[in-house]
Amino acid sequence: MQLGDRIVTLMAALVLVLQIAMVAQRWISIHIRIFAAQSFFLAAIAATIAWFNHAPHIFVAAVLTIVVKVILVPVIFERLIERMKIHEEIEPLLNVPISLVISGGLTLVGYVIAESFYRPEEPGLGHNALAVAISLFLIGFFNMINRRKALTQVLALLSLENGLFLAAISLTYGMPLIVELGVFFDVLVAAMVLGILIYRIRETFASMDVSRLRKLRG
Amino acid sequence: MLLILILSVPVFAAGASFFARRRTTMEAANVIGFGALFLLAVALGARVLAEGTVSLANGFFYADALSALVILLAASVAVVCSCYAIGYLRDDQQSGGLGDRFSHSQQLAQLRMYYTLTPLLVFSMIFMAMANNLGVMWAAMEATTLTSIFLVTFYGKVTSLEAAWKYAILGGVGLSMALFGTVVAYYAGHSLPGSESLSGLNWSVLVQHAAQLDKTSMRLAFVLVLLGYGTKAGLAPMHTWKPDAYSEAPVPSTAILSTALLNCALYCLIRFYILTSRCLGPEYPGRLLLLFGLLSMGIAVPFVLVQKNFRRLLAYSTIDHSGIMVIALGLGGAMGSLGLMLHMTFHSIAKSLLFLSAGNVYQYFRTDRFAKINGSVMAAMPLTGVVLFMAMLAIIGMPPFGLFQSEFLILRAAFSGEHILTGVLFVLFSTGVFTGVLLLLVGMILGPAQDTPVAPRRPWRDGSLLALAVALVTVGFWIPAPLLALIRGAAQVVSGQ
Repeated sequence: MQLGDRIVTLMAALVLVLQIAMVAQRWISIHIRIFAAQSFFLAAIAATIAWFNHAPHIFVAAVLTIVVKVILVPVIFERLIERMKIHEEIEPLLNVPISLVISGGLTLVGYVIAESFYRPEEPGLGHNALAVAISLFLIGFFNMINRRKALTQVLALLSLENGLFLAAISLTYGMPLIVELGVFFDVLVAAMVLGILIYRIRETFASMDVSRLRKLRG
Repeated sequence: MLLILILSVPVFAAGASFFARRRTTMEAANVIGFGALFLLAVALGARVLAEGTVSLANGFFYADALSALVILLAASVAVVCSCYAIGYLRDDQQSGGLGDRFSHSQQLAQLRMYYTLTPLLVFSMIFMAMANNLGVMWAAMEATTLTSIFLVTFYGKVTSLEAAWKYAILGGVGLSMALFGTVVAYYAGHSLPGSESLSGLNWSVLVQHAAQLDKTSMRLAFVLVLLGYGTKAGLAPMHTWKPDAYSEAPVPSTAILSTALLNCALYCLIRFYILTSRCLGPEYPGRLLLLFGLLSMGIAVPFVLVQKNFRRLLAYSTIDHSGIMVIALGLGGAMGSLGLMLHMTFHSIAKSLLFLSAGNVYQYFRTDRFAKINGSVMAAMPLTGVVLFMAMLAIIGMPPFGLFQSEFLILRAAFSGEHILTGVLFVLFSTGVFTGVLLLLVGMILGPAQDTPVAPRRPWRDGSLLALAVALVTVGFWIPAPLLALIRGAAQVVSGQ
């Protein structure tokens, strides 16, 4: 139990570091790889929890994470940027140092919220992981607002979803399997649908800067 | 068995349209599919009335009066819209509305997308209303967003891409909050016996043990779910996708989105409201719902008053009405719940009629600006003009139409429940929307006669409009006894009395 807790805490810390690295990252292709790495550590956390709690259905969730978020979604997006021939920089609205300070503040908020769920009498693996999960969720939100390029907004949305997954496994050791299946299916379809949409926006506007989408008002 | 049939009919309709090679086959697949679905939904309503609840596969699928009402409304709107869509899309194809540069086969592919995605959208809505598991309900709700994104981009214009992007991103963020809320609700029930199994998130199980759920977690869960599904329902301040998406999607899709899909989003809120109010008492969720409902009604007023575009006007009216329904839910009790269910029924009929008749105007005049139409609707298209006028009177809550009764009931619930401020603001905001919609639409329908040529007759579209108009007038005076029983049953599910 002690060992499992330590492994989970270490991995959760890595996941959080990668999330903050995403805030600071300027290149789209590296952004996609960071997302893949983050999802990989997430799957590792799920597998650790499954191993130490003897909960085989979390293994399924871990495998699905690897298949969908470490392999399929990054491959779809890599192909997309290859087809659209974009290697340009991501332009955040706020500059990197300010964004990092805000992310740090959001992490603190995440820890404060997670405190209210902490039950010392119930031994569990999830205390630190839940705080990280809520921080991922909040930083993902911030990242969506802070980015102008369509693809990076989608990546922020997916990393926010990673936070949800971590919250689910640290709070309740995963949702029932059928729900996990539904969620993964939706994530995969959403990635494809949004990919097609980005491709069409890029074709029409010759840019995927969503701040140019401002014709509809009132 | 009945539940399986209901679920499989739209899937077959989607498959038939996907593999069809001719336009008429796709049209037939949709109309026949939705017609059959409507009959099955009526049968489901009858069975729910007779047996109370219907469930299948160990309670994985579960339908009570509330689900049956939402399914019935979705099926009715879908069948009318599928008839209307035949005329509407044929007209688009002939007049180059699908894009002039496209070849015949490209146009056919575009139509195939419409006729395949619409049954899939209806399928996800029905699946959602039948899912007992709150997580599965969430997944089906996400599926409704995914299936409707490409209906919003149907015309492929610059503005439709913008609308679809807003819809996808806001919908995605909203639903991720709803998923977080669902996870927290699952955690709230994790100390119950049997929560590890599949049924741990089943609504029918949770509602029986609502009093034992963890109170702190349920508080957080309800806020997250309200923000999440509230985004899908278009509650202010998360409503900004709504006018864009509604004015860019093809008219029959808009009619489905603004009635059936709105009902589905409210359905999810209602399920969580029932859990939360049984766990924490009705005050906590009620106050939050009243706040968001009043905010939505209030935000609609200025946008309605200065609106230049009639499809966006109707979208703001939908935001206003979703605010009204959320207020009814927040007031709760026997009267508020009955008002909510009646309002949901009447609004689905009136708003789909309003969007479809406004779609006729849009397609004939090729504009959705009031200034360019300038009162020539009645002269050019008398039938559409009369129906549009009637639907407008219904939607602003004029007697004898049903929305007057339901809004009156909600107002009575507000004043008798000592929510005086809510009642006063409700009247104030309703008056604002009333004035705006009345002035703008009357100016568009009735004006100085101009030399606009009279539109030719359109059997598919006019037929669907007349059918809906007859339904609207009928339910204003007389609701069939079984339907009323179903509405009362749904209200009982909400109020628990």
